[in-house]
Amino acid sequence: MKNFSYVRATSVKEAVQQASTDNNAMFIAGGTNLVDRMKVFLDEPSQLIDITRLEMTRIEPTGEGLRLGALVSNTAVADHPEVRRSYPMLTRAILLGASQQIRNVATVGGNLLQRTRCPYYYDTAFACNKRELDTGCAALTGINRIHALLGASDQCVAVHPSDMCVPLAALDAIVEVESSKGKRQIPFTDFHRLPGDAPQRDTTLEPGELITAVILPPAPFAKSSVYLKLRDRDSYAFALVSVAAAVELADNRIKTARLAMGGMAHKPWRFTEAESFLVGKAANTETFQQAAELALQGAKPLEYNGFKVELAKRAIRRALTVSAKGGGIV
Amino acid sequence: MNKVMGTAVSRKDGQAKVTGTAIYSADHEIAGLVHGYVVTSTIANGRIKTIDTREAEQASGIIAIFTHKNAPQVFKPSNDFMKSKIYEARLPLSDDRVHYAGQIIGLVIADTFERARQGAHLVKVEYDAQKPIVEAKNAVFKEAPPQMGEELKFAKGDVVTGIASAAMKIEATYTTSTELHAPMEPHATIAQWQGTDSLTIYEPSQWLALSQRTYADLFGLPSEKVRIVIPFLGGAFGSKAFPWPHAILTVAAARQIKRPLKVVMSRRQMTANTGHRSETEQTIRLAATTDGMLSAIAHEAKSITSPVDVFTEPCTAVTPALYTSPNLLLTQELAVMNVGTPTFMRAPGENPGMWALESAMDELAWAMKLDPVALRLKNESKEHQRKGLPFSAKHFAECLKVGAERFGWKDRPQLRSLTREGKLVGWGMAASTYPGLRGTTSAKVRLLPDGTVHVLTSGNDMGTGSYTVVAIAAADALGISVEKVRVEMGDSLLPDGGLAGGSQMTASLVPTVMKACQDILKTANCTTATEACAALQRSGRAAIEASASSAPGDETKKWAFQSWGAHFCEVTVDEEIGRLRVTRWVSVMDVGRIINTKAAASQVRGGVIMGIGHALMEECHFDPNNGYPVVYDLATYHIPAHADTPRIDVTFVGEPDLNFNPAGVRGVGEIGITGVSAAIANAVYHATGKRFRSLPLTPDKLIA
Repeated sequence: MKNFSYVRATSVKEAVQQASTDNNAMFIAGGTNLVDRMKVFLDEPSQLIDITRLEMTRIEPTGEGLRLGALVSNTAVADHPEVRRSYPMLTRAILLGASQQIRNVATVGGNLLQRTRCPYYYDTAFACNKRELDTGCAALTGINRIHALLGASDQCVAVHPSDMCVPLAALDAIVEVESSKGKRQIPFTDFHRLPGDAPQRDTTLEPGELITAVILPPAPFAKSSVYLKLRDRDSYAFALVSVAAAVELADNRIKTARLAMGGMAHKPWRFTEAESFLVGKAANTETFQQAAELALQGAKPLEYNGFKVELAKRAIRRALTVSAKGGGIV
Repeated sequence: MNKVMGTAVSRKDGQAKVTGTAIYSADHEIAGLVHGYVVTSTIANGRIKTIDTREAEQASGIIAIFTHKNAPQVFKPSNDFMKSKIYEARLPLSDDRVHYAGQIIGLVIADTFERARQGAHLVKVEYDAQKPIVEAKNAVFKEAPPQMGEELKFAKGDVVTGIASAAMKIEATYTTSTELHAPMEPHATIAQWQGTDSLTIYEPSQWLALSQRTYADLFGLPSEKVRIVIPFLGGAFGSKAFPWPHAILTVAAARQIKRPLKVVMSRRQMTANTGHRSETEQTIRLAATTDGMLSAIAHEAKSITSPVDVFTEPCTAVTPALYTSPNLLLTQELAVMNVGTPTFMRAPGENPGMWALESAMDELAWAMKLDPVALRLKNESKEHQRKGLPFSAKHFAECLKVGAERFGWKDRPQLRSLTREGKLVGWGMAASTYPGLRGTTSAKVRLLPDGTVHVLTSGNDMGTGSYTVVAIAAADALGISVEKVRVEMGDSLLPDGGLAGGSQMTASLVPTVMKACQDILKTANCTTATEACAALQRSGRAAIEASASSAPGDETKKWAFQSWGAHFCEVTVDEEIGRLRVTRWVSVMDVGRIINTKAAASQVRGGVIMGIGHALMEECHFDPNNGYPVVYDLATYHIPAHADTPRIDVTFVGEPDLNFNPAGVRGVGEIGITGVSAAIANAVYHATGKRFRSLPLTPDKLIA
């Protein structure tokens, strides 16, 4: 890897100040994805600003909801009693991702910023617009088995790899960020972006902005929420497709529905249209199948990922069914 | 004295391994060591037009850069398996040709690993690229040449007649995907020259004496001037038997720069240039009489090799051993593609061969409404039909019967009738088999005055438990405890311990160690080690020492030696979401005498787990355009995690195979994997009523 300098920030203010002076600086916390990328020349930062000593390590209730500090480990989020009780799909999504060792060092902020595991992105032997703009996309005509069905462009068909982000999208979480210019909040579903003609940009973060927290708004509908992950092996594998689903019933009718998927697009994909369709309907297989059809109607399969259309529909049907029956492990 | 042989002994190297003090190849610390990083091709077929190293040369810490334009000198080895052998006949950097993506086209050497890697990244290459052949559908298949001196094709009787006259016949084609060895320890080589005519190499090797002879050949040295040191090896599975191009280049470059040099291959690089198991396509035709006797077996297999060496995945080798039939036909075809060189991988041939054959046997059993265990019992062969020799100490039927009993097979429900928690449940079984192989080995044993025993042999422990097996053999022969035996292995200065491959190290080494120990007692003219030790103390000498060798002999002209087994398993299939899980496993093995029940069972379990990988998830795609593997590490090349692996019940049956060697041992390293994938697919059929003939059984196939 290329030489870089290293500084350890002692406050958020100092960290963002430092970042504002160098466009090629990157923040490092757990480093579970960044360091891997540096080793294979995907990122060549001039400096790493170590943020691990900053005061962003608490999970605390606030007026807006449960506030997860950006440096809280994935493990700590998954194990937090309030998360387990009120947002079970978030606990489940985290526990189905990575390995225990990685979850212990990976952070909330870092999980949002991990990059695609598209094999064509990871090796400089292949053309990749995300890695280097206007060089082409080898995945388009390659083994695109794990690639996007929704929201892709002819520049990029990669998918966002996170499990944790899928329930965060379903929950309408809020991302709190700070830079030398001040603080702002970004709705979760606006945080990640579609590739369009700028596939090198995964998020709407501005240069120098640091994630300081993710806020989980109150979500009474999420008590029986589920996360279903389908993959090629039962542990330590990215999703072929995954579903975060929450169904709240009232008088045998669906009062609230939330539906988001991973493994589908360049960002965690929220199906608001299918959610609206579900509200007021009877919670049965037919309803859920219709919702699944609606969700996937815009899918554009590539040569090798056509199976994911059917797999996604079945996963949606299953996840909604289980949530409607009170939740649990699927 | 209680006999220790055949009991459960914890591994002697266990503590060193779990505390991190076991020294693997790349761990050796050598004064003045510098680091190399290979440059690899990004096309699969063509020529290097230009290779520009100027920017790399200017980078910090760069010591030297080698390309085909300044390739360090290497001589051609004999490339005869028993004399000197390299995996890839083309020597590294020997010209500007590129034969596969990931081929080594340069080596950058720097004072640190990171600087070497950065330097390699800065080398700019332009190619004259040609369209590669990287998909089997575009490859040209021809009859495979003989392998290791043996013809691959075989015919007995006439299968056409045998099929025409049969009451029942089935024909099906089965495929497997390209698989990687993916050993835990990456490939790594440290080369240290003493002047220009003496060489020490730290590198994983499954056969130190052969490595020593090979490097001697490659560098024009007498083999006495080459030393290979590898006390610990972190898994090989066939990929660490001979030098790969990176290793040859490392040694050659170290001589040129006159400094010790280390090259560690990345997981990414290992996907392309340290071997794999070829994808296979196999067509099986089985015909049977009304009472279920096989009247014909035809097994026709295709596999892929690289443009720079010839290796055929010998899928049909197992067929004439397993089931008897008057009409038998085996053919093997091979095609060249622009991919790295395939090689031996745990049960080479036997594993994919058993996938096809044992799936077909299950299909025949269902077609004939016969119990698959009964069908196998009916047709088991008393002789090896290719060798024309009877089997020695064969207990295949016992494996089937004991396995069926332990599993509860007799209660097998109807097809697609068993469910649990909303999932379909299925039971499947398959036979397991692997030949009994034995090689020539030597060892030295020393009895010391304090009553301890020192065993020295160059044979190595790949992680399989050989240190402990050797200690048990010595302890048993001398009537002392295992703790009193010190075993030294993995150094070519020691007597040739033979090949750790073909499941033969135990069968080759245990008789040698036993013999040396007996010679010690003979030399001391005593019947026990205690007496010999007392005599030694009285004599005032340092040690009683004996060297011994053993080798296979005429027994191979009288008998066919083969290990046997049976796998029984249960799977659950969540059909809606394509989720297949293996939930229960019973293996029964007949492998001759067991030296260490703990290690032997562990080897079988390891084989079953690797077989689950083969069945459910292992798959290396080559990019259809540039031919580079599309997997790049252990997160993207899936092998089973604990979550994919059920409890595996292992039982040994049979007897010591004393026709084979004085210890009666046949070896247990590979048999466990054979038949596993067929047992799983057979269970999936029982669960779902759907026959799957293409591995791995990933969710996309299960929902199709």
